[in-house]
Amino acid sequence: MEKSEITERTIKVTCEVLNVTPDMVTPESDFVFDLGAESTQSVQLVAAFDEEFDINMDAEDALEVQTVGNAIEFIEKYVNK
Amino acid sequence: MRMILYDGPSEKRANFHPLSLSRPIWELRCGMTTLAEKLIAKVGATDIACFVEAYMADSYRAKTNMKVNDTATLAGDDLLIVNGRVKAAGFDVATTGPSEVGVTDDGEVLYARITADDLPKLKTGGIEELLDSAKASLPTITAELATWNYTWDLVLANPEQLTEDFKSAGRDGIEGAVEQPNAIRGSDKDVFIGAGAVIHPMVVIDAENGPVYLDEDVEVHPFTRIEGPCYVGKKSILLGAKCREGNSIGPVCRIGGEVEESIIQGYSNKYHDGFLGHAYVGEWVNLGALTTNSDLKNDYSDVSVMLDGRRPIDTGSTKVGSLIGDHTKTAIGTLLNTGSYVGAMALIMPTGKPLPKFIPSFAWFLEGVTTKGFGKGKLYETARIAMSRRKCEWTEDEQAMWDAIFEMTAPIRDDALRRGRRKMLKK
Repeated sequence: MEKSEITERTIKVTCEVLNVTPDMVTPESDFVFDLGAESTQSVQLVAAFDEEFDINMDAEDALEVQTVGNAIEFIEKYVNK
Repeated sequence: MRMILYDGPSEKRANFHPLSLSRPIWELRCGMTTLAEKLIAKVGATDIACFVEAYMADSYRAKTNMKVNDTATLAGDDLLIVNGRVKAAGFDVATTGPSEVGVTDDGEVLYARITADDLPKLKTGGIEELLDSAKASLPTITAELATWNYTWDLVLANPEQLTEDFKSAGRDGIEGAVEQPNAIRGSDKDVFIGAGAVIHPMVVIDAENGPVYLDEDVEVHPFTRIEGPCYVGKKSILLGAKCREGNSIGPVCRIGGEVEESIIQGYSNKYHDGFLGHAYVGEWVNLGALTTNSDLKNDYSDVSVMLDGRRPIDTGSTKVGSLIGDHTKTAIGTLLNTGSYVGAMALIMPTGKPLPKFIPSFAWFLEGVTTKGFGKGKLYETARIAMSRRKCEWTEDEQAMWDAIFEMTAPIRDDALRRGRRKMLKK
C-alpha cells in the first residue's frame, strides 16, 4: 500500500475516534497533547487502526507511538510486511 | 500407598474455566476447604503427589507441598490415582487391594489403584501414558462415582458442603476477640471464631440456619451481618458486609456490600457496595464499587453460561451468577449479566448496561466493545503490584504460565476483538 493512502486513512480514523477535523491533524500532531486522546481512546485508536488496515498491531508497542506521523510509519510496517 | 492426584483431561478441565486456567481443579473451593483437601482427608493419605497440565507445573510447584509432575512418584509403591473431579464424599474405593481402574461410560479414568507389583508391566513415562496402559492391561470397571462437572456445581453445592465441613472440622467456640455489643443468633455450637480474629462492635453473626466459621485473624468491621452457613478464610476482612447465607470466602480478601451463596478463592477485593450472588471469583480480582451481578433471570428460567464464547450451556439451575477469572478488575458501576463468564486478566470499564455474557481472558472491555487494551505487559505489571501489596511474589514461573494461558485463550479473544473493532468503526 502506498504511504499516501496509509496517511489518508490514518487521518480519517484518527478524526473518527477522537472526534477532531482533518485540518487539526498533521504528522506532528501528538495524540494526547494536541488531539486530546485519553488513555481509553488510545486503546480505541489501536483497535480502529487494526480494523481499518486489517492488521494486528502489538498493543504495547502501538501505545508507545505518540504522533500521527509515527503512527503512519508504525502502521506502514504492518501493512507492507 | 501413594496417592496421586490427576488433573483430568483438558476437555473436562475447560468446563472449569476461567478458574481452572491457572490452577488444577482440585484447588477450587467448595465449603470450607479445597477439593484436594477433601479428597486427601477422605483417602487418609500422607504420601501425595500430583500431575497437572505442563504449562502450569512450575508455577503450581511453588504453591504446593506435593511433588508435581514427577514421574519418579509413579514407581516404588502401591498407587491410588484419583481424578481431581471426583467428589470426595462418595469416594469409597479401598486404598489397598488388587489393581483396578474405574472409568466413566466415556472412558475417562476416575481412579486407578495399581499395586507396586503391577507397575513394572505398565508404561510410567507420564500420567496419561500410565493411565492408558493401565486401562489397556488391568481390570477395568465402570465406576459409579459422583464428579464435579462445572464450576457452578461447586457454587450450588456450597451451602450444604459448608455445613458438612463445619461438622468435620469439629470446632466451635470463640478463640478470638469479640468486642461488645454484638449479637450471635442460634446455637453457640454453630459458631467458631479463630485465634487472632477480631469482631468489632455491632456485628451480627446469625447461625440460626447454618454454622459460621471465621478463621484465624479474620477482622469483621461494624454493621456486618454474617448468615450461616458461612466460611471466612484467614486474614480476610469484612467491611460492613451483608454476608448472606452460603458464602465461602478464601484467605486475605476484603469484602463489603452484599454477597450471597458465592465462593471467592482468595486474595480478592470486593471492598464496596454492590451485589455478588451465586458467583465464583478467582484470586487477585478487584471488583470496583457498585459492581453487581445478576444471578436470577426475570422469567425464572434456567441460566445458561458460555464457557467457550460461542455455545451456551444450560446450567439446569435458575440461580447462577458470574464466573470471574484471576487478576480481573471491574471498574465502578459494572453490571454483570446472569451467568456471565469473565475471563482471567480481563479489565472491564462499564457502559451503564449489562455487559455481554462472555468476556475473554486478557481482554479490555471498553465503551461496549472488546479490545486488547494496553496489552499483557501492563496487566502483568498490575498483577505484580497487586501481589506485592499482599506480600506475594509475581515470579518468572507465574509469568510463563500466564504467557501460556494468553496463547491458549487467543483464538476466542481474537474473534471477540475482531467483532469489537468492526462495531467500533460502525458507531
